[in-house]
Amino acid sequence: MTTMTDANNPPVPERIAKSPSHWRNRKHADHFRNHDEEFDASKFGMWLFLTTEVLLFAGIFVAYAVFRMMYPEAWANGSNHLDWVYGGANTVVLLISSWTAASAVRCAQINNQKWLKINLIITILCAGLFLFIKFKYEYMVKLGDGKAPGTFFSYPNASDAHEQLWWSLYYMGTGLHALHVVIGAGLLCWVLVRSIKYQAYGPTEYTMVENTALYWHIVDLIWIFLFPLLYLVH
Amino acid sequence: MSTHDAHGSGGYHEEGSYLSGPPGMISKIWQWASTVDHKKIGVMYLVSVLAMFFLGGMAAMAVRYELLDPVRTVITQMEVDGVMTEVISTTGDRLTPIAKLIGADSANQAYNRLFTLHGAVMVFMFIVPSIPASLGNFFLPIMLGAKDVAFPRLNLLSWYIYVVGSLFGVLSIIMGGVDTGWTFYTPYSTTTDADHIRVVFMVLAAFILGFSSILTGLNFIVTVHKLRAPGMGWFDMPLFIWGLYATSIIQVLATPVIGITLFLLIFERVMHIGIFDPSMGGDPVLYQHFFWFYSHPVVYVMILPGMGIISELLAVHSRKHIFGYRAIAFSSLGIAAVSFLVWGHHIFTAMGELAAILFSGLTFLVAIPTAIKMFNWIATLYKGSIAINTPMLYALIFLFTFSIGGLTGLPLATLSTDLHLHDSYYVVAHFHYVMMGGTVMAFMGGIHHWWPKMFGKMYNEWGGMLGGILVFIGFNLTFFTQFMLGTQGMPRRYANYVDEFQSLHVLSTYGSWILLIGFLVHLATFIHSLIAGEKAPANPWGGLSLEWETQSPPIEHNFHHEPVLTHGPYDFETVVPPHCDPKDYPLPENPSAH
Amino acid sequence: MMMPVLASTEPGFLQKFIFGGYSASRPGAQSDALFMMILWFSIFFFVLLMGLMIFFVIKYRRRPGVPAIPSPNHNTLLEIFWTVVPSSSMLVFFVLGFQSCTEKMVVPDNAMELNITAVKWSWDVTYPNGAKSPESQPLSYHKDPVTGVVTKGRDFPIFYIPENTDVRLKMISVDVIHSFWIPDFRTKMDVIPNRYTGYGFRTPALTVDDIMPDGETIQRDMWIFCAEYCGDEHSRMAATLRVVPMDVFEQKMMEWNKPKSPVVHGQQLWKQMCAACHTVDGKASTGPTLSRATIDGVEFGYGYDAQLVGGTMVPRDDNYYRRAILDPHSEVIVGYNPVMSDFSGLLDEDAVFALIAFIKNLSDRGTAGDSSEESDNSEAAESAGGDS
Ligand code: HEA
Ligand code: HEA
Ligand code: HEC
Ligand code: CUA
Ligand SMILES: [Cu+2]
Repeated sequence: MTTMTDANNPPVPERIAKSPSHWRNRKHADHFRNHDEEFDASKFGMWLFLTTEVLLFAGIFVAYAVFRMMYPEAWANGSNHLDWVYGGANTVVLLISSWTAASAVRCAQINNQKWLKINLIITILCAGLFLFIKFKYEYMVKLGDGKAPGTFFSYPNASDAHEQLWWSLYYMGTGLHALHVVIGAGLLCWVLVRSIKYQAYGPTEYTMVENTALYWHIVDLIWIFLFPLLYLVH
Repeated sequence: MSTHDAHGSGGYHEEGSYLSGPPGMISKIWQWASTVDHKKIGVMYLVSVLAMFFLGGMAAMAVRYELLDPVRTVITQMEVDGVMTEVISTTGDRLTPIAKLIGADSANQAYNRLFTLHGAVMVFMFIVPSIPASLGNFFLPIMLGAKDVAFPRLNLLSWYIYVVGSLFGVLSIIMGGVDTGWTFYTPYSTTTDADHIRVVFMVLAAFILGFSSILTGLNFIVTVHKLRAPGMGWFDMPLFIWGLYATSIIQVLATPVIGITLFLLIFERVMHIGIFDPSMGGDPVLYQHFFWFYSHPVVYVMILPGMGIISELLAVHSRKHIFGYRAIAFSSLGIAAVSFLVWGHHIFTAMGELAAILFSGLTFLVAIPTAIKMFNWIATLYKGSIAINTPMLYALIFLFTFSIGGLTGLPLATLSTDLHLHDSYYVVAHFHYVMMGGTVMAFMGGIHHWWPKMFGKMYNEWGGMLGGILVFIGFNLTFFTQFMLGTQGMPRRYANYVDEFQSLHVLSTYGSWILLIGFLVHLATFIHSLIAGEKAPANPWGGLSLEWETQSPPIEHNFHHEPVLTHGPYDFETVVPPHCDPKDYPLPENPSAH
Repeated sequence: MMMPVLASTEPGFLQKFIFGGYSASRPGAQSDALFMMILWFSIFFFVLLMGLMIFFVIKYRRRPGVPAIPSPNHNTLLEIFWTVVPSSSMLVFFVLGFQSCTEKMVVPDNAMELNITAVKWSWDVTYPNGAKSPESQPLSYHKDPVTGVVTKGRDFPIFYIPENTDVRLKMISVDVIHSFWIPDFRTKMDVIPNRYTGYGFRTPALTVDDIMPDGETIQRDMWIFCAEYCGDEHSRMAATLRVVPMDVFEQKMMEWNKPKSPVVHGQQLWKQMCAACHTVDGKASTGPTLSRATIDGVEFGYGYDAQLVGGTMVPRDDNYYRRAILDPHSEVIVGYNPVMSDFSGLLDEDAVFALIAFIKNLSDRGTAGDSSEESDNSEAAESAGGDS
């Protein structure tokens, strides 16, 4: 492996190759028997963690279903206020980013350092774009109209007494999701910085890339559920 | 257990234990605070949860003291103009000293804060992390033959999260406490103390503690899957591990739901999002469903590790192969699975009849795997060589009290009888019999059983036995009376009650004093052991699971060499325990075939 | 099916001991019988298992140098046996449990319907003819064992119901969740804001045991407790349910529905709904006293300025009181927490009017009755008792 040199992969500078986290001479943690076992364990742990994330959002979805049954009118009105164009755009943005995240893992596996970084950067940019659209064209506009959660609700044209509930749930669901986007972007940045600074990831060490990508897929997946429920179902 | 010990059969000699650290106070503290060693983390957890047990216990003592009298004791009694007067509620100078101390506005509120504090501390800060995070952390990797849990740093993080969560709880208590009950039912919890941050802090505490619980569970599951010693199949694991494994599944699957619930509750309080608020069209019963979807499974988080401990204690101290190993292992998983389907039995009185019927039926299912375990445990004792020592005493107490606790759950699961018993002292008695009489008794048994291994010192057997007997007597006196109170109509969470309940309440309070003395005896015994205890041998009880393989206390990396499993944890009929004199643990001449 | 069989057996000593008496309703007696059945089942297994345990511990106690006697470590037949037996008995409990629950819930259509409104911290019962009970009695008299001083507990309302009648409860709460428990009927149900809940029962027939010491009146008192935690005075959210002969009940209904002066009417309302938090003897409680008083330099009573949180002083006049009752959180008195429930859904104009008249009457600056004419009274009383 260490002899691999091609256009995409210039020889590793000494400073980097000797850095403690470098995958080329990486040792697995002491309590694992070998490297594979460590990798499997981290991935398994990540999957378990993702399960908890799904269950976390399950609460929001159940509340959504219950209130939809109780106040179908308010729910229909509420989703009429959402513009599917922005939601749809964000869906596309996230789908693209999910794809680049997956590609980043692939690049780490085949030691394509350059595209690893490019993919990560695109993913992060997508995260930024998502948040930008969400805040600029949705939250700000709606808050300006008075369609705010809870006590701050002051939308004068609400057609149903329970529309306020819809908005509360909308903000709780999308807000919690946005928080996850921010955390995911943070993780991606960390991976990016480490791969720029140390070339920390490669064919024998891509656990962190893979786990971050998994996390990002879940963030995407949750949006895939939120989008139709909030924007499309009337 | 024949590990390939480098020192050969006779040449066993000790290495520095995990307890030995660098000299100097600062570096010692730093070493503990930054450790990723599961054993040290286990010990830190043990100390923290016992501190919380003490805090919760003191609140319980105050609760019991108040209930000595229908209306008037320390909390609600006051001398006004030379006459002891019933103080319904008070402002300003009409506050009793205790009420003042907790910063309550009225005497009854002081009581309400006390039982909330008691319940919240005991559940969220004591019993949920108790066995898994302390004994589990310490022994799960060792019993699997691993050097550590799968994610040691996550493990340390979980302890810090636990501390931060508990600090929020304690902060809330210092700021005056909350009076919502540990269940935080809306809309009461969203409206009480409306202008104060205390309730948010307490809810936040429970929310944060949830993460700690998730991390522990996640860590254990991965460890069990990936780090078993070579040769250790699933059915070669000690049953304690099975208990912890089933527990972890529940922790990982149920805790996120309480997470989102408490998250919404916090927002409900700070900006009235209305989801649980009937005045805005929200649904308070939805909150109850959410809450119990977590909090029912969590009662099995409390008990399953305890059941695991009991399996160990009974087998080791009666030198018998556990009866029906697979039945016990699978019933743990069975309990975990069914526990997710029965949450509705806590809210029979708030939901439709059809749903209630469904939940009642499902609840009975959960009793069956427990009954199976019970029968297997008793069968294990058959033809054993039963030692009467503190761990065994606690195992027997567990069988006694937990049976009562579990069996009294049956009328609660029965729809029509629960309509009467719900929210009465009968329920209070039921859950103390399972939590205190189940989990805490198992925990005490486990602490005594593994104490020599953890700290390398023996405890005084007389102290242990005396404490155990006092706790047993005190416990039953305290809580058996409460069954009667409940059936006769005493509602729970009552600071005042009608006169005819007094005699039973008085008995109950006397019981709680005996209980306190019992625990103090234990505390003294433990302190004595740490200071002046005899040095413990590597295997004081003749156990066969891997933790008895290594020295007491274990070395930093648990084993000198990676152990290879050659026999099961309960093969007492055929294997001489490691580090033991065969004379002390003779083998039968013709072992039965199995 | 099986329930009548269960209930037909006379309650034994143990059952009376456990429940402190015999249930006052038939479904109640049935569920007690079911409880006893489960109890005997439990006792059987408990004694069996503990008996074996103690026997084994003694018989097989450790003797130094003696190994445990070998025995198989599982037995499939035995294990199947002790899985099937509990399972089948669970099934029996389940079926009996929901049958007897149905009996507790279902009431004939022509049952008498009581409207129950829960408010922190009292029960408000409206009878079918719109009447409300003005009667009350202390729930407990407490004698201090040391000083011998007898303290009378606070007054709690008495709700009358006729004997041998089907009753249905229709319940709702105006603030938080409460729970209406009548231990003697062995049943309870949560009282939830924004949603009706309820249950029914048949009141028992009175017997010679129910004749009072005076030899004339015949009645049976039962407790009503609030069983769902609802705050400070949760433990005093109680009342008495009094079963009386039909003629006494009807007489009470007539009597209570007679027109009353606003002050009297107001006093009744106060007793029912406000007394949990407001005294009229000048003492502080959860809420400020409604009568004339000066506590720590703060003035109370009609006509005196109210000192609000934030420092403003507001004169206490009719409109102030209207606001204080219907929109209690708009102005909060210093030294108190805003825990008063919003009574706007519960009290109509006439009731508020009566309450203000009553409060006015408690102060030296209130000129009692000046704004009320005799002619208003009957109207006030009638509509005040109306549906809430
Ligand atoms: C450690 C915790 C723990 C455990 C293990 C259990 C175990 C059980 N619990 Fe309990 N429960 C609580 C903790 C626990 N509970 C708490 C904290 C509350 C109240 C919370 C609150 O409101 O604040 C509660 C409340 C509660 C209720 C709601 C009551 C109400 O509020 O109205 C119900 C109703 O069904 C119930 C049922 C059961 C049942 C059927 C079991 C079963 O799992 C029991 C199974 C055990 C046995 C059956 C006994 C052992 C077996 C034998 C001796 C063999 C012979 C037996 C047979 C043949 C059946 N519990
Ligand atoms: C783990 C759970 C747990 C435990 C162990 C206990 C233990 C005790 N509880 Fe618990 N209790 C609850 C959980 C628990 N409780 C819950 C969840 C509620 C419901 C709250 C609510 O309604 O919201 C409740 C409610 C509750 C009530 C009802 C209040 C009411 O409804 O009005 C009462 C009343 O008697 C009571 C009493 C006691 C007593 C006397 C103990 C005693 O057993 C305590 C004994 C303990 C000690 C005296 C501490 C001694 C410790 C040391 C000395 C430290 C050193 C220790 C060692 C070295 C081992 N509790
Ligand atoms: C839950 C307890 C509670 C109940 C029940 C309650 N109140 Fe109050 N009340 C309070 C508290 C606390 C305050 C002081 C804080 C505030 O002003 O909101 C108050 C304030 C008042 C005031 C202003 C007092 C003053 O001195 O200015 C009036 C008038 C009043 N209540 C009337 C009523 C009436 C009439 C009822 C019954 C229909 C009632 N209250 C029921 C708790 C209660
Ligand atoms: Cu009303 Cu408790
Ligand atoms: Cu439960």
